[in-house]
Amino acid sequence: MTTADRQTLSMHHSEVQVSVELQTPDMTLNLGPQHPSTHGVLRLVARVDGEVIKELEPVVGYMHRGYEKLAEVRTYPQITALVNRIDWVSGFANEIPFMVATERLMDIEVPERAQYIRLILTEMARISNHLVFLSSLPLELGAATPLMHALRERERVLDLIEGVTGGRFHPNFNRIGGVKPAAAAGATQKKVVQDLPQGFVEQTKSAMEYVREVCADMVNLVLGNEIFMQRTKGVGVIPADKALAFGVSGPNLRASGVPFDLRKTDDYLPYSNFDFDVVTGSNGDCFDRYAVRLEEVVQASRIVDQAVSEIPAGDLQAKVPRIIKVPKGEIYVRAENPKGEMGYYIVSEGGRGPYRLKIRTASFSNLSVLSWLLKGQLVPDLIAILGSLDFVLGDVDR
Amino acid sequence: MSAILDNFWSLLALKILLITGVMMTVSLVIIFAELKISAHMQSRVGPYFAGGRYGWAQPLADGLKFIQKEDLVPADADRPVFKFAPMVVLAGTLAVFVIVPFSPDLVVRNLDLGVFYALAAGSIGTVGVLMAGWSSANKYSLMGGLRAAAQLIAYELPLVLAVVGVVIQAGTMSMVGIVEAQAAPVFHLGDTAISLPYIFQGQFIGFIIFMIAALAELNRTPFDMPIAESELVMGYLTEYSGIRFTMFFLGEYAGIFAMSAIASTLFLGGYYFPGLDSATFGPLVLMGKVGLLVFLIIWLRWTLPRLREDQLQSFAWKWLIPLALVNIAVTATFKVVF
Amino acid sequence: MSPSELAARIAGAVGSDHFSSDNGTAKVHIAADRWVDAHRTLSAEMPYFSWLSAIDWATEVVVGDAPESEDIEPRYEVLSCLGSVETGESVVLSTAVSKDDPSLDSLAEVYGGANWHEREAAEMFGIDFVGHPNLTGIYLPDSFEGHPLQKSFALLSREVKPWPGTVDVEPMPDEEGPSTENPEDAG
Repeated sequence: MTTADRQTLSMHHSEVQVSVELQTPDMTLNLGPQHPSTHGVLRLVARVDGEVIKELEPVVGYMHRGYEKLAEVRTYPQITALVNRIDWVSGFANEIPFMVATERLMDIEVPERAQYIRLILTEMARISNHLVFLSSLPLELGAATPLMHALRERERVLDLIEGVTGGRFHPNFNRIGGVKPAAAAGATQKKVVQDLPQGFVEQTKSAMEYVREVCADMVNLVLGNEIFMQRTKGVGVIPADKALAFGVSGPNLRASGVPFDLRKTDDYLPYSNFDFDVVTGSNGDCFDRYAVRLEEVVQASRIVDQAVSEIPAGDLQAKVPRIIKVPKGEIYVRAENPKGEMGYYIVSEGGRGPYRLKIRTASFSNLSVLSWLLKGQLVPDLIAILGSLDFVLGDVDR
Repeated sequence: MSAILDNFWSLLALKILLITGVMMTVSLVIIFAELKISAHMQSRVGPYFAGGRYGWAQPLADGLKFIQKEDLVPADADRPVFKFAPMVVLAGTLAVFVIVPFSPDLVVRNLDLGVFYALAAGSIGTVGVLMAGWSSANKYSLMGGLRAAAQLIAYELPLVLAVVGVVIQAGTMSMVGIVEAQAAPVFHLGDTAISLPYIFQGQFIGFIIFMIAALAELNRTPFDMPIAESELVMGYLTEYSGIRFTMFFLGEYAGIFAMSAIASTLFLGGYYFPGLDSATFGPLVLMGKVGLLVFLIIWLRWTLPRLREDQLQSFAWKWLIPLALVNIAVTATFKVVF
Repeated sequence: MSPSELAARIAGAVGSDHFSSDNGTAKVHIAADRWVDAHRTLSAEMPYFSWLSAIDWATEVVVGDAPESEDIEPRYEVLSCLGSVETGESVVLSTAVSKDDPSLDSLAEVYGGANWHEREAAEMFGIDFVGHPNLTGIYLPDSFEGHPLQKSFALLSREVKPWPGTVDVEPMPDEEGPSTENPEDAG
């Protein structure tokens, strides 16, 4: 560990010098890696003068698992299981750009039914992710109740995802060419074609109703709360040009006023069949980031409602060879993940695994803006800003 | 028995023991109330298993758990100050109970300077908080202690000024005297004499200011920056564990009771309820009013986020103090004119 | 604008004639000494900096399979991805850095986001970015030796126990039963 780690935190009373102007030395405050409010093992080394941060450096890498190296010794279907652990809050959505990239390299056409199911599950993952965020920011600011209400509704969405895929956070439901088509085949059990569970459409619609209700509650309980507004309005403003230069994406970028949504510009899933709005904020402060995500939950529930009413019949997976070998080529596919832009650059040399897999994660770029953003802010604002950026350390560290 | 009651010193000792017992019990009851009320507000159940179906023994169980924990003092800490700080906080809160009137006779000592004494004793806790923050040899605790001291000093003023209005209106600083002044009839409706508590007799603004300042004095959300759990771990309480932590904890909840008791006495009429005999029903009436205010305090904690330190300070200095001064001026005018 | 038109246009703007748009990804190759200038030229119309990374092209690999192409020239290929928010287009720019003296000018002045990405690339591949304000490691502990994403960097776990081969547990929709595959059998 570096010498900075060995700095002790105690301040002996003889270190304080009392002169005519009462100079107090700057204090080095070390937040983390274990801390109640950083979202994971993130360490912030801050030089603090009273309550003002003079300089801040985030230290990441405590959760580095070496995904890109691991991917070089895996086959494509095996990478699917690895990849949904990158951003563990929105598990399903991590697999999508990888699947689409592989399918495009192999020139496989995914059946419509599978595409719709992927889209529905991705939007549910988005709702689940945003509900966690919507409850954790007020918690860090001191209001403990929205957490319980939001998580209660999130359980409904997770139950739906579990009903379809069998897993709440890491479904492993995608396959190259579609989604998982069958279950249980072997010596003792007969193979069953596994489709959506019975009653899925009605349950989904009622769950979306509950989700919209809790969003309306949040608008009153949180957005309209005078104290919340005072703590978040004007705090942590990221101007649009800085956001673009640092690679900030997703709701953070939209809150700064840039109406950029990959669901509208890229066609990795059939979003063009559905009607939804791109939600933007105006100032790029913490309040806007919260309001944008709150409205995005409502929009996502709209998409799910529309999609679930018109799922076409058909196959769940295209016909793919038994051994997946991807022809030579390079491709970059990006998707609008709940936290931002997630992309996979696959370099294939014709083998059964990629020659190089570059994973572009949203939180890595979202977090890189922190040392610029936090100069001159107050320590309590640091908590509000960290909470409003919505990052997860698995996404940052890969 | 009468020998004990006649001798001044033994009577005093009995009263002190009684009040300490009351304080401990009341703290536990309020802790339990907070656990249950917050749970139901968040669509949870709260304590369920301890002591049978309603989980009423949960605070007792927690207390016993804390008592048997290891006594940890950080290596770099200032030992005497560290050990003494919780006692200072507890002593300050306990001292306030001396003048709370449960009925015209059931009061430890009905001081003529009751209100003045209550406010003065209540602010001893500030020193204890500073002691705790400083002696813990921990940057988080230091920041928490300094924040707490700044907050407590800032909100002393609105607290005192809000009370001045009541004192002007009652004409006395004695707690029993203030309750009697509220019991005095204001107007007559036919045969019956109607008396109103001061909250309706023009001290509504004063009541609001007092409750806000009391929340800040108790370090409760929305003013709990000093122990902002998600920011500074536990602020000035970070290094405390076991019995010392229990003392702080009990002191906080006893403080809630004390502040609510003072507020009910000054603004809501204390042990007096029209139509009920004060001597017999006094304690019940007072407990009822205190219960209402405690519920309000718990409700506010679980609904509102916390104010930032500078917002907190500007709220006190720019809003509460001018409002309190205006309140005094208006009260004084009314008192003289009418 | 289709990817091929985009690639041609960007290549013209930065003065390169080596571009492609295979698989829908517009990719433009730039000479190493014109790397920063090209980005500066493009920064007005493509202000969104998505990522920067590298590929280690090597003919002998210790981990994974060796590349099948015949004409691999050992080098580091540094990639950066820029995007435009009005049109939603994105382009991948690439340049080649030799392995004997792997250094490239830093983009930290042009795009603020390149700071962290270059630190990661330097740590993983050993590329030196000249002019970077703080080229320290970002992911690995300070005591770590070596550059992990190089093809010559061995994975310790695979040294101890070699790759077990592909094991398919879930059969295809029209087949039954689990099967195992050995890499040698598949050919």
